[in-house]
Amino acid sequence: MLLEERNGVTTNQRGGRGPVAATVSVIGELLITAGLILALFVVYSLWWTNVLADRHEHKAADKVRQQWARSPADTGPGSLDTKDGIGFLHVPAMGRNYQVLVKKGTSTKVLNEGVAGYYTDPVPAALPTAKTGNFTLAAHRDGHGAKFHNINKIHDGDPIVFESKDTWYVYKVYKILDQTSKYNVAVTDQIPKESGRTKPGRYITLTTCTPVYTSRYRYIVWGELVRTQKVDATRTLPAELR
Amino acid sequence: MYGWIWRHLPGNAWVRAMISLVLVLAVVYLLFQYIFPWAEPLLPFNEVTVDNGMAAVR
Repeated sequence: MLLEERNGVTTNQRGGRGPVAATVSVIGELLITAGLILALFVVYSLWWTNVLADRHEHKAADKVRQQWARSPADTGPGSLDTKDGIGFLHVPAMGRNYQVLVKKGTSTKVLNEGVAGYYTDPVPAALPTAKTGNFTLAAHRDGHGAKFHNINKIHDGDPIVFESKDTWYVYKVYKILDQTSKYNVAVTDQIPKESGRTKPGRYITLTTCTPVYTSRYRYIVWGELVRTQKVDATRTLPAELR
Repeated sequence: MYGWIWRHLPGNAWVRAMISLVLVLAVVYLLFQYIFPWAEPLLPFNEVTVDNGMAAVR
């Protein structure tokens, strides 16, 4: 009796499976494979793209700093070199020593380099040098450097500092919109009325997606220029960053 | 499917295990290097800019 049962099992293992069992088994394996691939995609999105983007951004940032060091502020082609990046954004609220390179454009290609991009489309940004206007920026919330991951840690009154080759532009946050439609282009207007301002001024706008890990809404932070400070020979940090 | 692959790999169990590992790593490499970068922009997880709906067409 016992022997017979054992024999029955071994026969089954040798390939006596019916076509239904074989099909179910293959489908099961495919489903497990699909699950593993999706898990790997999460690893890719939230970790690997950060590794690549951070590496890229560090290299690009070093290059900009070296260029600045080579040509002293007063003899350079201009304080905003738009080819490799126009400068650095410092936001102490997002971490001590937080800085990110700012480049032109908000295309996927630019943002995936782990930088913050200033808008050229649909509403072009005004550069910080402009007499009035809105310096509008976007960066990734997750993956590809996740430079604006901690945007929710910025509060009213926090400083945002943009560093160009020769000037520190110190902005102060005055309004946060923690959720808006992704089609709400008005937030990047030169006079961002939704923030409560009605007169031309020198504004800065940070945009990224929210809630974290999705792209359903946009998170907006508005600030306005408080003062500017010339960069000195040793690039001494302004008081807000010390 | 995996059983079929296993049975068709040469060598003893150790050799097969090593070959399997190499195959798995090759698949992961292909996914990370080519397939995920291609698929990512097609998925709506990482749009951070405001726009007037043109991105959906782009």
